[in-house]
Amino acid sequence: MKSLNKVMTGLIGITISFLIGAILIKIQGNSPLLAYKALYDYGFASWFSLSSTLNNATPLILTGMAAAIAFSSNVTNLGEPGQLIVGALIAALLGYYINLPGWLGIIVILVVSGIVGGLYGAIAGVLKKYYKMDEFITTLMLNFIADYLTLYLATYPFLDKKSYVPATHMIKREYFLPVLSGLNSSFFIAVIMIVISFFVSKYLKIGYEWRMMGYNANFSKVGGCNNENNVIWVMFYTGFLSGLAGALLILGGTQHRFMKGIGANYGWDGVMLAIVGGNGVIETSIFAVFFGFLKAGGMGMEFEISIPSEFIMVLQAIIVLLVVSTRSTISYYGNRIKAYSKTKKVVKVDE
Amino acid sequence: MNNIIISLIRDSFSSATPILLAALGGTFTFYANVFNIAMEGMMLIGAFFAVLGSYFFQSWFMGILFALISGTIAALIFSLFALYLKTDEFLTGIGINMLALGGTTYLLRNIFSVKGAFVSPQIQTMPKWDIPILRNIPILNEILNNHPFIVYITIILAILIDLIIFHTKFGLRIRATGEDEETARSLGINPDKIKFVSILLSGILSSAAGTFLSLGYVTLFSENMSNGRGWISLAMIVLVRGRPLGILLISLIFGFFESSAFSLQHYNIPSQITSMIPYIVTLVALFIYSLNNMKKEGNEA
Repeated sequence: MKSLNKVMTGLIGITISFLIGAILIKIQGNSPLLAYKALYDYGFASWFSLSSTLNNATPLILTGMAAAIAFSSNVTNLGEPGQLIVGALIAALLGYYINLPGWLGIIVILVVSGIVGGLYGAIAGVLKKYYKMDEFITTLMLNFIADYLTLYLATYPFLDKKSYVPATHMIKREYFLPVLSGLNSSFFIAVIMIVISFFVSKYLKIGYEWRMMGYNANFSKVGGCNNENNVIWVMFYTGFLSGLAGALLILGGTQHRFMKGIGANYGWDGVMLAIVGGNGVIETSIFAVFFGFLKAGGMGMEFEISIPSEFIMVLQAIIVLLVVSTRSTISYYGNRIKAYSKTKKVVKVDE
Repeated sequence: MNNIIISLIRDSFSSATPILLAALGGTFTFYANVFNIAMEGMMLIGAFFAVLGSYFFQSWFMGILFALISGTIAALIFSLFALYLKTDEFLTGIGINMLALGGTTYLLRNIFSVKGAFVSPQIQTMPKWDIPILRNIPILNEILNNHPFIVYITIILAILIDLIIFHTKFGLRIRATGEDEETARSLGINPDKIKFVSILLSGILSSAAGTFLSLGYVTLFSENMSNGRGWISLAMIVLVRGRPLGILLISLIFGFFESSAFSLQHYNIPSQITSMIPYIVTLVALFIYSLNNMKKEGNEA
């Protein structure tokens, strides 16, 4: 019943958002019908478009899941963009400098990049444990520091002098992730991480402690959990997921090198997805695929009828606001109506 | 050497202004207990519409008017979702920020057909004020005179808002709402209305901060030009627990670091490194704040 409610309110919100989007397209002097047809054609209609939807969804699944796991443990990790970009840079450097046979090298790169992303996230956890610094602001500031630091490293010490923009060298060819008829295998790594995360949070003691901490911090403390340490672990694990997302952008992307803007908006999109998905690992992943569809289809709208691809960002923000507001409005006013009818009954009995 | 220090202090005022202005808006929402992280987006919206108005009417006044209207609209959208549709304030803020980032970039491409940044001789910069009293005082004149007029207004506002929040009925109501909504309601205050006004004020002041970015500092609009200043404002509010005069002081210190970071570029230090300084300074400030707090708690125990 509850998840059905979530699906229903989600659909209502999305429908209204598309209607608003249609009005915006109309104001621009384009045909909404043609625009949405292009969205569908490039995002869903063929295997080619479906695979590009899934490729687009891959980093979103990971960053969305990272935000969801953090939020559901009552840890405000807004540092996904920074953790992602750090992971991406490490993957680009390792991919150029290390010499290992193909598969082993790929695994080493992914694991190390994830760990470095995790350590970058753990900084905020450590600052919280020892100095009570709010992770909400520390992770934000760490994002900007990561942005400029990686850009500095790619512009000076690790610059590929042959490239026209600040970028690192291309990674070795044997570390490219294989593409299976259009679908990049990084998608499967994201799916494996969904399964692992689901397992960790449902069946492992530490995952249970995280959820308890999110449910009621005092209760979990009385129950014997070490909340402060758990904050660091949540930060590390979710930072690992974001760092991995960054590494997959390098090994599984198209450029195979680190350059400015490679993190795009994946980190922030992940935060929004987690909230729309109600912090559930599975729900968030489903919405991530939907956002991947919008991104892939948005390209189509740009190619076919030259609607700027930023339009999709606007649409995403509208969708997020409307989906969540429909849900909260319905539950708020629903509860009021329930309470009202209950009092009515009570009053009647009294009479 | 003397000249460098004077120009550093002078630049501190312009670096501090946008952060201070947005933070002053955030003071209202801080005391009304609205979790307002939309300042970043509202600043960006203000910066864009300031350029739009200034470009089309070739008047800085229309630029500011456009910006303030756009900030008001953004605040209305925030209130609609957060107050009336009961959407999570945090999410509403993120949504507004996304809408601002995507929307301004989208409009930049649609209206001006450029990507990245828009520059035009048609954009009018806001005027600078020449203050007669200062003209005859040697160093003070160099530091304080001939800034864009918003700089002066912002400093006056800081004092004014301090008075409003701590010495007027309206300020008392805002603080009462933030302290305990239900008690405030029982005293006949409408908390939703108070919150609405505080969001509106923060929207207007944040968008004014945006106009300083695009018509004061420089004369252009570039994608994502607020670049985290809204969040730094938020950090500062937390740091001084909302006191407007405290924000005035800390934003000047902050502005000093930002402008000295900027001048470090003349000594061959890469801009990527100097750009990190504002965020590191914020982290360090928070760190010192929390060390102090812990010491206090230790003394009390």
